[in-house]
Amino acid sequence: MKIRHISIGRVIAKTVQYAFLIIGTFSSLIPIVSCITTAFKSDAEYYNTSVMTLPDNWFNFENFKVAWQEANMGRAFLNTFIILAFVLIGNTMLSAMLAYVLNRFKFKGNTLIRNLFMVAALIPGIATQVTVYQIMSSLHLVNTMYGYIFLMLGTDIIAIYIFIQFFENIPASLDEAAILDGCNYFGVFFRILLPLLKPAIVTCAILKGVSTYNEYYMANLYLQDKSLYQVVSTSLYTFTGPMGNQYNYICAGVLITMIPIVVIFILCQRYIYVGLTQGAVKE
Amino acid sequence: MKNGSMAIALSIMMMVMTTGCNSNDNGSGTANTMTTTYKDMIVGETATDIKAELKILTNRTDLIDTDFSEYIDEFTSMYPNVTIKYEGITNYENDVTTRLTTGDWGDICCIPATVSLTDLGNYFESFGDYSYFENVYELSDSKMYDNKVYGLPTMGNASGIVYNKSVFEEAGIEELPTTPDEFLNALQKIDDNTDAIPMYTNYAAGWTLTAWDSYITGSTGDANYKRNTLIHKSNPFSRQDDLTGPYAVYYTLYEAVARGLTEEDPTTTNWEGCKSQINAGNIGCMVLGSWSIPQMKEAGEHDDNIAYMPFPIEVNGKQYASAIADYCYGVNINSSADNKTAAMLYIKYLTESSGYALTQGGIPIVKGDEYPDFLQSFQDVTLVSDNPALKGEERYFDDINNMSEISFDSDPTHVARIIEAAIDGTKTFDEIMDEWNVAWTKAQENVGVTVN
Amino acid sequence: MSAKRNVKDVKLIRRIWANMNVQKTIITITFLFVPLLLLILFTYLPFFKMVEFSFYDMGYIGTRKWVGLDNYIEVFTREDCLNSLKLSGYYLLGSIVQIAIALLFATILSFKPKGSSFFRAALYFPSLICGIAVGFIFKYFYTHGFVFDSIIQLFGVPLDSIPFWLRDTKINNWVLVASSIWRYMGQSMVLFIGAIVSVDKTQYDAAAIDGANAWHRFRYIILPSIRTIVVLNMILSVSGALAVFEIPYVITNGGFGTSTYFVLMDKLAHLNQKVGLASAMAVILLVLILIVSAVQKIAEKRMVNSYSIVSSKKRRRNK
Repeated sequence: MKIRHISIGRVIAKTVQYAFLIIGTFSSLIPIVSCITTAFKSDAEYYNTSVMTLPDNWFNFENFKVAWQEANMGRAFLNTFIILAFVLIGNTMLSAMLAYVLNRFKFKGNTLIRNLFMVAALIPGIATQVTVYQIMSSLHLVNTMYGYIFLMLGTDIIAIYIFIQFFENIPASLDEAAILDGCNYFGVFFRILLPLLKPAIVTCAILKGVSTYNEYYMANLYLQDKSLYQVVSTSLYTFTGPMGNQYNYICAGVLITMIPIVVIFILCQRYIYVGLTQGAVKE
Repeated sequence: MKNGSMAIALSIMMMVMTTGCNSNDNGSGTANTMTTTYKDMIVGETATDIKAELKILTNRTDLIDTDFSEYIDEFTSMYPNVTIKYEGITNYENDVTTRLTTGDWGDICCIPATVSLTDLGNYFESFGDYSYFENVYELSDSKMYDNKVYGLPTMGNASGIVYNKSVFEEAGIEELPTTPDEFLNALQKIDDNTDAIPMYTNYAAGWTLTAWDSYITGSTGDANYKRNTLIHKSNPFSRQDDLTGPYAVYYTLYEAVARGLTEEDPTTTNWEGCKSQINAGNIGCMVLGSWSIPQMKEAGEHDDNIAYMPFPIEVNGKQYASAIADYCYGVNINSSADNKTAAMLYIKYLTESSGYALTQGGIPIVKGDEYPDFLQSFQDVTLVSDNPALKGEERYFDDINNMSEISFDSDPTHVARIIEAAIDGTKTFDEIMDEWNVAWTKAQENVGVTVN
Repeated sequence: MSAKRNVKDVKLIRRIWANMNVQKTIITITFLFVPLLLLILFTYLPFFKMVEFSFYDMGYIGTRKWVGLDNYIEVFTREDCLNSLKLSGYYLLGSIVQIAIALLFATILSFKPKGSSFFRAALYFPSLICGIAVGFIFKYFYTHGFVFDSIIQLFGVPLDSIPFWLRDTKINNWVLVASSIWRYMGQSMVLFIGAIVSVDKTQYDAAAIDGANAWHRFRYIILPSIRTIVVLNMILSVSGALAVFEIPYVITNGGFGTSTYFVLMDKLAHLNQKVGLASAMAVILLVLILIVSAVQKIAEKRMVNSYSIVSSKKRRRNK
């Protein structure tokens, strides 16, 4: 009797749970799905059919072609790729190095530095751009790829914590053994520890990669010559101009920019979840 | 390890680094001084062996692959060692204003309205004295300071209203309205008798709204109004008894929106789309400069229906229209001497022999050149162009304009707020004008001009 | 012989250690140099410069004039600044809703029901999309007669009675807040899932024996264990709510009363060239954020000291 009662309760609970999940997923996906259906519509379909009707031809890639050309996306993807390559390598190395020093050596200023990074995380980037712009300008870094890369290299508290957490799980005796074997500290870091950090590196690289890929404000401000330095996020913004409200093209453009994100997401979901969780468990 | 002190040392170093580089290298040295002045240049004869790579910033993203590339071909056939590249910018005023601060933005740009006249010399090479241009070019004084011309337009615009004739006929409008209230009645007729949107605001595009600011001069019929009278006038945005002046201009907009004679949802207006819409007769009219006429004509099959009328304001029974310079080209003061020379040659070519003004339906800059057809409907209308400010008062308009944040001609926000208030009814039109008066008066005080 | 060798060894080790200490210093400096340089150059130096600018009436170029506190006074007397601060309230309420929804889904998903990885992916994916793309997607979504209206029409509501989502000033900010929730909910959810999963499972069994239901389990086991992270999320929400930019920037460009603090600041700095005023706005914003964070820190410390053993244990472990 009691067992049956529980199972009825469980059935109801399950139903309610799934109802929530389905509503949530629906709201989460419907804006994207509507974008997909629109992207495959020809001009005639777009103007004459309702938003809810499906496109006639799911292989109508015309809009994607137009969007790709109109927003100069070939160039944009190339530039974004170059920026990502430098930023990811530089940023993860810098974060790992910083975390190594902060975790392994006790020195005056250790806590101060941690706190500096922590407070920095509270300062929203856009707020200081008025003055960052002046600094960039006086260092002649505006309107250059390396200037933007330099700006994006900076490490942040989340990456530092992910690495510190990782170092904590690597016993210090490992370092000491290596030193007794004749390794110096640089050797310890680059030859012994760095290979062990692979999961943390992947996690940080994904988080930083996604945020760099999506970063718009600074890319727009500092990579000014859009014919040369168009990146993916700024190329997307060009749709506010000539295409106005032709959403079949805009949606195609939006989807093109989402493809790399989808691929990374499917391949590296686990790292993303783990990274997010690790970065935030420590505050 | 003294990391605390290290951090301090670092930051001091950076301070030195950044302040050390802060000095403006504008106009440095003699290395980039040109040998020939604009006045003496003859396109196709002067310095035909000059070598330069020019970069031009333009707001006309639509012309880069069409007209501009033809001009480049023609120009480079005379100057084979010059290459020219256009960069189109959608959010022009905003982006270019920021870019100018770096100095290496390119060689030629359309000077944004945000640059004060007094600052022109910091960014742009002078084309020469106004005393020369006065006699050969129209509208060459709009980017002038201390008698030196820093920017030249390739055409001028008359400020009127582009409309669809057949929509007006279908609505039963027999005579073109000449006062704001007649105009609003005409719009009402369109609303009642046709399916067209009487007036399309182009709210969402933003920059299209600054068009409204160009009617101020025409609304007074006074060439001195904008740069001389306005800066000294107390409460210039109050209602005039004869319904002229700035109040009347923006009143027309507010009332049209408030009476529901504009598109339903301004947040989703579509600039590119509006061209074919007015061509097809789905839109009655749009308040835009004469530069828009060719674009509206080309956007469909009914180019005969696109016509141009003066803004419906009469001053003492007479209609006026502002004639204003289109975007003026300025040459980067930091460019090399060769680039500057090539840039000026190209601008001279654009102004004098490209035929740009004619194809774009603009008022020609070279004195004595042919006027475009549309101005025939302006036979009874007097064109007025702004006189420059008195000597010593050049910066007042820009200063007051920026400080009050009304920012005529550069920031569309003040016009956007009128449309928003008209829709949601949060403010009456008179309240908005009072706010403008307050802001203007405060800015006049801060700048220190005499008010009368 | 052996004694001699010992002395030699000790000397060697000493030398190595001396060497090591020098090395330590070198490696500390080299490894800290670039990250600190970047941090100072692009975060702290701009911050201090901004504080300086905020006392001047200045543009990007041209002369500047010392005006003392005028810019600060102006921020607090300008109608548009105050309005944009008020708007942060909308986004703040939105983020509370966001946290609540995220907690709900996190709790459901952390018990791994069938298909949980699909649901988690679907709910999380929006956080990875670039802000500009989110702007376009929702501009399309809310345009009159388009996606959202079509969905409502499916329920038999005629188009005429559906409001203009982006134009109507009574609702347009809520509409934008909803887009913001859509975008960030998944991220909070994943954080919460991570925290819930690390809760000691035996507590659930113990609770089940005591006859606890799902709500009890949530209220008395899960919530106390993940309180730190929930609170952390709340501070981030406060600074997030004050710093909303991309969504209103792309969808409405600040029109119809949707101009958030940053949209306004961006306009003042770049379009009106009021760098001093924009700097004062930024400084005020940072001060607000720092105050909120400090208050939260203190409150959290108190809470930890007086109640939770679980989270204090966790803190110690993580230190």
